[in-house]
Amino acid sequence: MRVTKGAKIATGTALLALGVAACGGGGGGGGSSSGGGDNPRAATGTVFIRGCEPQTGFVPGNINETCGGTINDFVYSKLVKYNSDTAAPELDQAESIETTDNKVWTIKLKSGLKWTDGTPVTAKNYVDAWNYTAYSPNAQLGSSWFADIKGFDKVNTEDPDGPDGPKEAPKPETDKLSGLEVVDDLTFKVTLNNPIAVFRTKLGYSTFSALPDAFFKDPKGFAQKPVTNGPFKFVQWDHNSQIIVEANPDYAGPEKPKVKKIVYKMYKDDNAAYADLVSNNLDFTELIPPSALAGDKWKTDLGDRAIDGQQGVIQTVTFPLYDKEFGGNADFRKAVSMAIDRQTITDKIFNKGRSPINGWVSPIVEGFKDGACGELCTYDPAKAKEYLAKAKAAGYTPPAEFPIWSNADGTHKEWIEATVNSINQAFGADAGVKFVHKDMPTFAELRDTITQHKIKGAFRTGWQMDYPHIENFMNPLYKTGASSNDGLYSNKALDAKLHEADTATDPAQSNALYQEAEAMLQQDMPAIPLWSYGLQAGTSKWVTGVKVTPFGELDPLSIAIKEA
Amino acid sequence: MGRYAIRRLLQLVPVVLGTTFIINYMVWQLPGDPFAGRCGQRPCPDAYVTAMREQFGLDQPLLVQYGNFLKNLVTGNLGVDFNSVSVASLLGDAWPITIRLALMAVIFEAVIGIGAGVLSGLKRGGFIDNVVTISTLFLLSLPIFVTGYLLQWLLGVQLGIITPTVTDEATVPELIVPALVLASLNMAFTARLTRTSIVENLRSDYVRTAVAKGLSNRRVVAIHLLRNSLIPVLTFLGTEVGSLMSGAIITEGIFNIHGIGGLLWRAILDQDYTVVVPVATLLVLVYLLANLLVDLLYGVLDPRIRYE
Repeated sequence: MRVTKGAKIATGTALLALGVAACGGGGGGGGSSSGGGDNPRAATGTVFIRGCEPQTGFVPGNINETCGGTINDFVYSKLVKYNSDTAAPELDQAESIETTDNKVWTIKLKSGLKWTDGTPVTAKNYVDAWNYTAYSPNAQLGSSWFADIKGFDKVNTEDPDGPDGPKEAPKPETDKLSGLEVVDDLTFKVTLNNPIAVFRTKLGYSTFSALPDAFFKDPKGFAQKPVTNGPFKFVQWDHNSQIIVEANPDYAGPEKPKVKKIVYKMYKDDNAAYADLVSNNLDFTELIPPSALAGDKWKTDLGDRAIDGQQGVIQTVTFPLYDKEFGGNADFRKAVSMAIDRQTITDKIFNKGRSPINGWVSPIVEGFKDGACGELCTYDPAKAKEYLAKAKAAGYTPPAEFPIWSNADGTHKEWIEATVNSINQAFGADAGVKFVHKDMPTFAELRDTITQHKIKGAFRTGWQMDYPHIENFMNPLYKTGASSNDGLYSNKALDAKLHEADTATDPAQSNALYQEAEAMLQQDMPAIPLWSYGLQAGTSKWVTGVKVTPFGELDPLSIAIKEA
Repeated sequence: MGRYAIRRLLQLVPVVLGTTFIINYMVWQLPGDPFAGRCGQRPCPDAYVTAMREQFGLDQPLLVQYGNFLKNLVTGNLGVDFNSVSVASLLGDAWPITIRLALMAVIFEAVIGIGAGVLSGLKRGGFIDNVVTISTLFLLSLPIFVTGYLLQWLLGVQLGIITPTVTDEATVPELIVPALVLASLNMAFTARLTRTSIVENLRSDYVRTAVAKGLSNRRVVAIHLLRNSLIPVLTFLGTEVGSLMSGAIITEGIFNIHGIGGLLWRAILDQDYTVVVPVATLLVLVYLLANLLVDLLYGVLDPRIRYE
């Protein structure tokens, strides 16, 4: 029957194509799996999800990308976890996290928690891990997360002339943060430099995981096969091909894993993963390729297996405020913002997969308030022209050609071209400035140019939240001298407001202060908010109950195999 | 022939030295610090960048780096990638799959391509000739990714005859469709090349002599005609083996085959030059050796060619 099918299709073509189809028919004997009836996953309890090769080993303080981050979240439990539906922080390994002044925090662990090698999870495991990550000679990527803890400057020294200079960083005085203190087996105390209202929320970020004693004996070997404390335990890592994790029988959480094994299958091409998903060879992917998003084809393909949601990622365009020519002035940036037709671009380019935002914060996080950007983030060509005239009257002459930069190894070309077209149309032909899209070959090169403050033009910036809180969209991006303040924006009043919010003891009041700070960005428009990312995921017909976290990852406890 | 082979092997030495130096020079001179893009929108900690540069010798001058590379290459130590995974083991996992795929593709090209070429060349202007001409034109006009996605969609997603992607083991039956896709374009080239060669040689003196001697038709075609006509085809297939060994990025991507192409592709995107340089070097070697083998095979096919 197979050959007949092949031959029918090939009649229109000729000899060689016929040969191809016939041979293809012969080759399929081994792998056919789309027969109906019994659920092939039920026998083994194994599900297959889309993955990619992690860039680093599984040491939580050294992971900062999603390929490794996904598995890291499957295998490590943290003090706090985020609810998959509401993104609200909930206690996980912690029994209680208490403070009176937001400066000294007492953290008590639940008793009876175990590592996969059988040793108990203790307060010392947390303190040791945090000290290790913060200590600069260990060169951990997450070290700066501990900068708020007292004594950080003693364990983490900076290279006086940066990594390019000939000087070396001095050896730190000590390798222990003075702000960490083990009280007893299950309790430890954290003292911060300044009161920080969101410290409890931050504790769900992977850098704040604990590490077992086994790690310190052989950090390198551990990174390839870690001992963990999460709902799943690490089984094996075949580089560039798959990672296997198994349900952890000792997992103490209230919700247990519903599958026995998860295979994290690595794909180089989203289209390949999608083809496997449609034909039920893959049980989950959170990356639906653009070809399937076009015209909502994926919803027809998948039917009730499609998952449509939101994630905590926003897209912005940032200006180099340090550059006289391309920094512009506030009115110029406002003009640009009002010249972008966000709704049409998200509808046409992203098929409504992204939604326009009206502020600098993702709509799904705690503290979000709609409309922080006011009318400045609405499309109004007439007002845009007015602002442009004002900007010129104030003495700013925009360059004839104004680039918006992106990296060619990502998929940004289409929306930036649509954006520059929108701006150019709104400004009109006689505006004296023409926006264009320009590419740098790689993300690394773009980031390199941006962090060296040498970029000539505006540039795309995206912010993927680390933890679901308004603070994460403000402090790292807009405080003077903050780590990701790429445009070198500086506003004393905003800094003061943010400090006030950081140190407020009442969470509600703190959130209100952050919202006030966000609204202050209107004055200067250092970055233009564009849209927030939607989430498009899909499952096979063999699984059920699948939830996706606000970070766009599979919630490993939710996935279950359908009863036949 | 032995002396010729040795001379050719000796010629490889400067070529290998030159190409590896250029590869080393070029990848390390590419703009963008390989560690700058690793932390997303946040800058990487200085201590991390310094430690990584030190570990991989990026703080050394280029010539010292190149010297270290040669020393490691001679001792067979390919080092580790930025993630501390041994490059040799990465290659060990990926290469057998790529070799299997490449050999299968070349076999399809040779068998189907030469077969179709001979049939159409012998009966020039006949029905088969027209069929081959049209079908090769069809294949030549289709880019590989179109053929790949089409067959994947048709046979994998719609008909369910094959699984859309290949498993990690990448067994021979699983690789049949990817190999055909990979071979499709060059299969058409091979067919046309063979056809032209056959048509040309059919009119040559030695074929006329052979026919006049009263040799059977089969003998004339198989021994006299085919052997002489295959020389240009062999050159083509030989270089083809070399380039297929370097992996087929598109085909591997479509069918999710974990071969050399994908490994190299990912390493280039991540700017992980610790993988790019050794893999590229080995590919240079494979390419050179494949060419040498082709040159030596000429002598087998055509006794008039002597190696002095």
